[in-house]
Amino acid sequence: MRKRLVHYLIILAVIVVMNFFLPRMMPGSPLKSLAGENPGDLTAAEKMGILEAYHLNDPLPVQFVSYLKDLFTFRWGDSYVKRQPIASLIASRAGWTLLLAGSGMVLSAVIGTGLGAWSAFGRKKKRDMPVLLTTTVISSMPPFWIAVLLLAVFGVRLKWFPIYGAYSMWGAYTGIAKILDTCRHLFLPLVTLVLASLMSFFTTSRYATLKILEEDYVKMARLRGISGKRVVFCYVIRNTLIPVFTLFMMDIGYLLSGSVVIETVFSYPGLGTLMREAVMARDYPLMQYTFLLSSVLTVAALFLADVLYSRLDPRMEVGRG
Amino acid sequence: MGDRRTTGRLMGRIGLALTALTVFFALLAPVLAPYDPWTSVAEAYLPPGAGHILGTNDIGQDIFSELLYGAGTSLATGFLSAAVSLTIGVSAGMLAGWYGGRVDRFVTKVTAFFLTVPFIPAVILLSAFARPGVVGMALILGAMSWAGTARVVRTQTLAVREKDYIQTVKAMGASDFYLLRRHVVKELLPWILYQGVLRVKSGILSESSLSFLGLGSTVQKSWGSMIYYAQAKNALLTGAWVWWIVPPGLCIVLVSCALMLISYGAEEWMDKRLVRR
Repeated sequence: MRKRLVHYLIILAVIVVMNFFLPRMMPGSPLKSLAGENPGDLTAAEKMGILEAYHLNDPLPVQFVSYLKDLFTFRWGDSYVKRQPIASLIASRAGWTLLLAGSGMVLSAVIGTGLGAWSAFGRKKKRDMPVLLTTTVISSMPPFWIAVLLLAVFGVRLKWFPIYGAYSMWGAYTGIAKILDTCRHLFLPLVTLVLASLMSFFTTSRYATLKILEEDYVKMARLRGISGKRVVFCYVIRNTLIPVFTLFMMDIGYLLSGSVVIETVFSYPGLGTLMREAVMARDYPLMQYTFLLSSVLTVAALFLADVLYSRLDPRMEVGRG
Repeated sequence: MGDRRTTGRLMGRIGLALTALTVFFALLAPVLAPYDPWTSVAEAYLPPGAGHILGTNDIGQDIFSELLYGAGTSLATGFLSAAVSLTIGVSAGMLAGWYGGRVDRFVTKVTAFFLTVPFIPAVILLSAFARPGVVGMALILGAMSWAGTARVVRTQTLAVREKDYIQTVKAMGASDFYLLRRHVVKELLPWILYQGVLRVKSGILSESSLSFLGLGSTVQKSWGSMIYYAQAKNALLTGAWVWWIVPPGLCIVLVSCALMLISYGAEEWMDKRLVRR
């Protein structure tokens, strides 16, 4: 447990250090990456001001110390494109990403696992063509393409769902109406995310269930006359959940960050869209801190999953030490 | 069993045929394409019709020709990134599994790091800083995606190392390099090929995502960037998406499916090798 924590802290530390060196290793003046593509437009005083603000006139070790200090005191500097402090920009966006990715993660895990187990109970063969072909096609579709098509059909053509943002800008909704409005905006991005990440859960759960159904203790339970429902829920599903949870752990990072593309299509105001806006505007400081924050979120989620994992399957604690 | 095996082989063959077809189109794009995809050859926003099977884009380029040229970008990025990823992953994994000890601990730490760093933000950040072309993007994708391979190869190398014949050859005085190159790689080859196919597939999907975000090469035609421009030019609102966004997406789906079919065939082949032993 302590060891896992140390492990993740080291990884975080490495990311923080890389975040410091990456822009400094890039060719060209740092001004370009701090103040936009045309540093020539700035006056000499402005240039000095920027270099001063980022401690760029100091020797590298001193720069590093100031960087750390700024990092932990949330003085992350301003986005020069948006003219706002980066910390508050990120804070206002993180919630939406957590909402989208969190609900997406839970839904795709639940639906994928359920469907997988269900299809395993239905067929006793390891492989059957329709299932295999469906999973192949769905997992071959790039998420952004699914997103664009859903938007085109259900947003633009049929007008069932809003095509933009996470809430109605000009609707003064309160209470339940507000929640409904948020859900309506969430729906299409969520469906895309679920479709994009469903299949790995489906395949894992299906395969695990098929394997467990072959186990002696399941057959024994049936022979002992334990009711079918009980066998399914207490003997089979319980054990299916372990590989599913492993997958869930490995997918957390992908889901938290994989929504970049989906958020972009729906202009969903999360971290992903922020990162993409930063990239398009070549707003390097903003880019770096969004990257830093999604890394922190990922590492935190992985750690949490790791802790839960050893609770779920006590065997895992052995051998980890 | 017999039935299962033939379907696997059949799927593998179909996958190979489809992939070969795509490679064929990619290589012969200059001959097959009715127009030069970089010049405006007609009015902008033409719907599909005579002369332009899939219409034209916002600056009057022929969409069908763009599609043919895009195949090359996708395949090149996919194969190259897979090669980079496998080279790093297989060598790191083999070194760790073969030598153990300090090398192993070091490789395992680095692997754990690369498994944790969120892939998509990392490649976005790197491509935004480096603004890569096809080769650059393949390098970035490869460099960020080798960790899973390394982990599996390490475990497999551990197992292979203990095999009797390896120990015998070693006792006969074979060098480590010789053993790794001649025998260990050979043992791992089926899995490496299988993994390679899947890496090509994810390389193609990642390339399309990055291009869709506007981070792709600006001089190469790419299926992802076609969709990027289409969306930027409001193809969704005009209805042009049907011939501007759907076809490149279908191409991606098709190639990816073909590669997955190959991987099923490869799986079957690996099983067979295991049974034969």
